Amino acid sequence: MSAPSDRFDRMVGLIPWALAVAFGAVATHLLSVLALPALAPNSAYRRLAADLPLGEVRLLPRATPDHPGPTFSDPFAFLAVCRFDLTLGPLRLRANADGDHPLSVSVRLANGAIVWSGSDGQTPGGHFNILIVTRSQADAIDAAREDQDETATDGDELRLVAPRPKGFALFRLLALREGEAETVAAQRAGFECATEKPPQ
Amino acid sequence: MRPLLAVTLAALGLGLAATAVSTSGDPGFAPVRLGPWTSWPQLGGAEIDPYERASVAMDGVAPIGLNEGLSFLARADDLGAPLDSRCDYQIAGSDLPARLWTLAAYSEGGRPLDNPAGRSGLTSAGLLRAEGGDFVIDAAREARPGNWLPLGSARSFVLALRLYQASTSALSSAYDGLSLPKITRGSCS
Repeated sequence: MSAPSDRFDRMVGLIPWALAVAFGAVATHLLSVLALPALAPNSAYRRLAADLPLGEVRLLPRATPDHPGPTFSDPFAFLAVCRFDLTLGPLRLRANADGDHPLSVSVRLANGAIVWSGSDGQTPGGHFNILIVTRSQADAIDAAREDQDETATDGDELRLVAPRPKGFALFRLLALREGEAETVAAQRAGFECATEKPPQ
Repeated sequence: MRPLLAVTLAALGLGLAATAVSTSGDPGFAPVRLGPWTSWPQLGGAEIDPYERASVAMDGVAPIGLNEGLSFLARADDLGAPLDSRCDYQIAGSDLPARLWTLAAYSEGGRPLDNPAGRSGLTSAGLLRAEGGDFVIDAAREARPGNWLPLGSARSFVLALRLYQASTSALSSAYDGLSLPKITRGSCS
């Protein structure tokens, strides 16, 4: 009679340990999933932008078997990247489409989330003039404009409030056919990123 | 002390294993499937969930933004057989609702396919079409007349179709009316 009772007691005694393993496993899993975008060595932010000086536009070669770029990159897409850190000031981004080659811009956080994307077909004249700011910078800009009694902003300016201060902008210019590297090079040279003075 | 160490190691091991499993394979939980083509539209927006974000970071993907276009991958033909570069494929369809679309072949790991022709894709701008706008693309290792998508020596491959500035939105039910090219396997060597 005592053996089954001992076994039952041992089983009951294991329950707290099993619960501790389950709780610890769930916590480890959730924390590691949340931490992965910042830690993954292969993430687009790490590979393309993490070491890029602020204000510099990096022109990436098109994807080839030897230089594949981000995984599943389109071989007809010519990418350019610039990094932002809004703690140092808003980022002004400008680009012009030539009307023939599709151009799009996306604003991405360091964790990979795309906070905004748009293409030249959706912007006036295919002209991108984007100001990326934090919420407090946006409020400061509005307050400054109110003080100066200015109601109008830069005519075609699109102001984006980024939920986090660090990330990168990705320009995507498409070649229509093979062998257009030189044709798109001039257009890519016009891409601009500049950190502006923080509003007071 | 020893049970505590065992519990800690077991929790870490199980938790990390669950993370590895959940971030491997397909990058999203809510794929849109149209024939052999699959898309994960939520990867291109701000509403991407933490698992998808982790998976995208691990894979090193820079997804197309929602307003840039639509992106689809195919790992099998229309009958569900995995794509095999020892076989020839016909990819046939009618014009797609986009300003420009591209079709490219990749290794399983997402690198453009290496092949003697030195190119791994086609665009809608450079395509030969029938009068009504229909097109047929031959994907094969050996050169073909007309629209030829060269395949490499690696056995398995993946096709990626991208519709830039598509007139259908990734977030609308317009996906339902979208007709993507059929992938039909021909002869195999």
